[in-house]
This record gives sequence, C-alpha cells and structure tokens, in this order.
Amino acid sequence: MYKITSLIALVTLLGLSSCTKDPINDLSSEESLVYVTNRDTQADYKQYKTFSIVDSVLVMENNRTGTTLDDLDKAVLIRIIDNMKDLGYVMVAPAQKPDIGINVAWITNSQLNVTSMPLYYGNYWGGMGGWGWGYPSYYQYYETSESYWHISMVDFKNPNTVDKTYKVVWDAQIRGSDIGNRNLANTMIDAIYSQSTYLKK
Amino acid sequence: MKKILFALLLISFSSVVRAQEAPRLYTLPSPFERYTHFLVTGRIAGAVPMGSFSDSYIDKASFRNYSISLEWVLRNSPLSVGGEIGSSHFQKRLPRALYQSGNETVSAVQTRTLSQTPLQVFVNYHFLNKSSVVQPYAQVSAGISFADYSLYYGSLVQQQQKIPFAYGVGLGSRFLFKKDGSFGADVRVKYEGTSLKSGYLEKGTSTVNGSVGLFYRWW
Repeated sequence: MYKITSLIALVTLLGLSSCTKDPINDLSSEESLVYVTNRDTQADYKQYKTFSIVDSVLVMENNRTGTTLDDLDKAVLIRIIDNMKDLGYVMVAPAQKPDIGINVAWITNSQLNVTSMPLYYGNYWGGMGGWGWGYPSYYQYYETSESYWHISMVDFKNPNTVDKTYKVVWDAQIRGSDIGNRNLANTMIDAIYSQSTYLKK
Repeated sequence: MKKILFALLLISFSSVVRAQEAPRLYTLPSPFERYTHFLVTGRIAGAVPMGSFSDSYIDKASFRNYSISLEWVLRNSPLSVGGEIGSSHFQKRLPRALYQSGNETVSAVQTRTLSQTPLQVFVNYHFLNKSSVVQPYAQVSAGISFADYSLYYGSLVQQQQKIPFAYGVGLGSRFLFKKDGSFGADVRVKYEGTSLKSGYLEKGTSTVNGSVGLFYRWW
C-alpha cells in the first residue's frame, strides 16, 4: 500500500510540474516592450519653446559610465528630435540656452543571483525570524542583467538657484527584451511621445 | 471396473458439491461492500472563472487543469474520505493599453496568469451502494492552494506567491466498467474557491470546473 501511494504521489508531482509553460513565449518583439512615462504635474509645458539634446547616448552599467553613438543611438536621437519638433518645440544649440534639455541614457543593472528558493516558505516553517537560507559556495550562481532606455526632459528655464538643481519635468523608460533592435527605434520613441500628449504646445 | 465406477461416482459427487456451493459464493456481498477499500482517481477538467475573479482579472475558461485523488471508501458507511492534489492554470492576454498609476503612465501588453496547486482533503457521500454500477456522490473539500499570481507587462513580471485557504463543493458520479469491477469512469462538477488576495484579485478566486476521469479501486 505504501509503495502504491508513494508511486502515485511521485507520478502526480512529476506530472503536475511538467504542466507549466512560459506564458509569454509567443509575444512578438514589439509586444514585449513596456513604455513608462512620468510627468511633473506642476510643470506648465506651454512655457517651454526651445530644446536641445545630448549628442550621444550615456551608457550606465552599475557604477560605470560612458557614451556611445552607434546606428541605434543615432536613430533614437533623431526620432526624439522629430517628435519634439512635431510637438511644436524649436531645436537650438546648447549654447543658445534652450528652455529644455533632453538626456538619453542606456542603463544596465546587473545582479548576481543564486539558483535558490526564495524565502517564500518562511511562514511555512513556522516563521523564520529574519533568518534566510545559507548556500555553500559550490551552489550555482547566475547573473541577470536588465537594460532599459531612459529619456528625461530637464527644465533649464527655471533652475532651482537655492540648491542648484534643474528639475526633471518628464521622463520615459523603455523596457523589454528587444530594446536594442534598430528596427524598433522609431516605434519605441513614437510610443513614449504618443502617450504624453500633454507635452504638445 | 470397480475402480472406474468409483472414480465416476466421486467426480459426479464433487460436481454436485460444486454446483451447490457456487450459488452460495455468488450471493456473498462484493468485497467492495464488505471491506474498506482504496480508490484512486485521475481527472482532467475544464474550468470557468466566476465572480470577481472573472470580472477583475481573467474571464477566460481554462482547459489546463488536472488532479489526482486517493480515497478510503469506508465499510458500512456511505462516506469516503481522501486527499486530492491538482494543478490549474488560467491565462489571458490583453492588447496593448495604457495603465495609469499616479503620475505614471505605463503602456504594455498585459498577460495575466494564475497558477494553482490545490491540496485538499475531502469527504464524499455516496447515494448508492458500492456494488452499484452507477455511483453518484456529493463532495465537500477544504485545504490550501499553492498559488502563483504572475502579471506580465510585456516581458516584465509582477509575481506574488501565496498559500491561501481553499475549499470546494461538488457533485459527481462514478461508472463502473463492469459490475464489481475495479476500473471505471468518473465525472464531476465542482465549485472551488480560495481566499487569495493579490493585485487585481481583491476578493479571492472562485471557479466552476467540470472534469472527466478514470478510477481504479482495490482492497
């Protein structure tokens, strides 16, 4: 009897665990993209007339920074310029003191993870009291890395002279598994502007 | 010659004895009536979300539901008790849409999923005796469910895993393939609920599922 029930339990667990499949493996590249925009509700966008944009893309990876200007970066910068002009802003050189400055960054966060169970079972074991699992060094580790585009709009017209800062009045993040695809550059940039209609002059 | 006659007499006498015993053996109640026995059932099911689960999260039927149960059918009682472990998966894809949260606007294709592995004990009440070819029953169950609420924005996921209380009531029937046999089919309609509260799910989950299955019983 014990053997039969053990066999049933084993077969059940194996069977049930094999039922799960990746729910997003059928997403297209475009569908995988997520556009997040934030705005300063105090900002009056009508007051801004001119803008300028960085001449290359800032690359930030953990604590390292640098700049890049490959085909993808150029496409992104040009499309931002096109969208700003379409909204009614006039592009000027940085020396002409634009009302708005646009920064464009490619940010990568890397993390080292252990292939482990989370502390989810803390309650199951009767409350862990802040204790976690200890993993010996021979356990497998893997590194995850997530990159995203970050585009921000800085108010040069109204600097905070007290603490010497320029306020970010709008920013956008583009996340997803295919954000480095040159063919999606226009789609990505158009999307963040189309969901920010309040920027229109 | 005497030996042959004696042998024939012996054979005919033993035949008479067998003929007299056979009806008596046949009239004994089935072993499944006389003994507490075991019964294992495997089921596949289609399930429909109900109530707030359907209104606020996923309203799409699922056909990715399985379970297996093991029960003890009690002697001299219309009851059986047992345990059941299952797997269910609900999923729905929404086209790209804007989601507002404070000053933040998110544009994404949402994929809503809820996977559960319910583990419950149950009591069945059998309306007819255990040797009946058709055995309708009513069921109540309670236990826990290992729930995984994963809400995808594009390829990004918000995941919450919890172990809520789970319960259910059902009506079903078993159909023996032959009288007093060990194998048969099982059909069941069951309402199942959990107290899961995650994200869009603010009032738990409720579903109605219809299953077909096969069972084997032994003693």
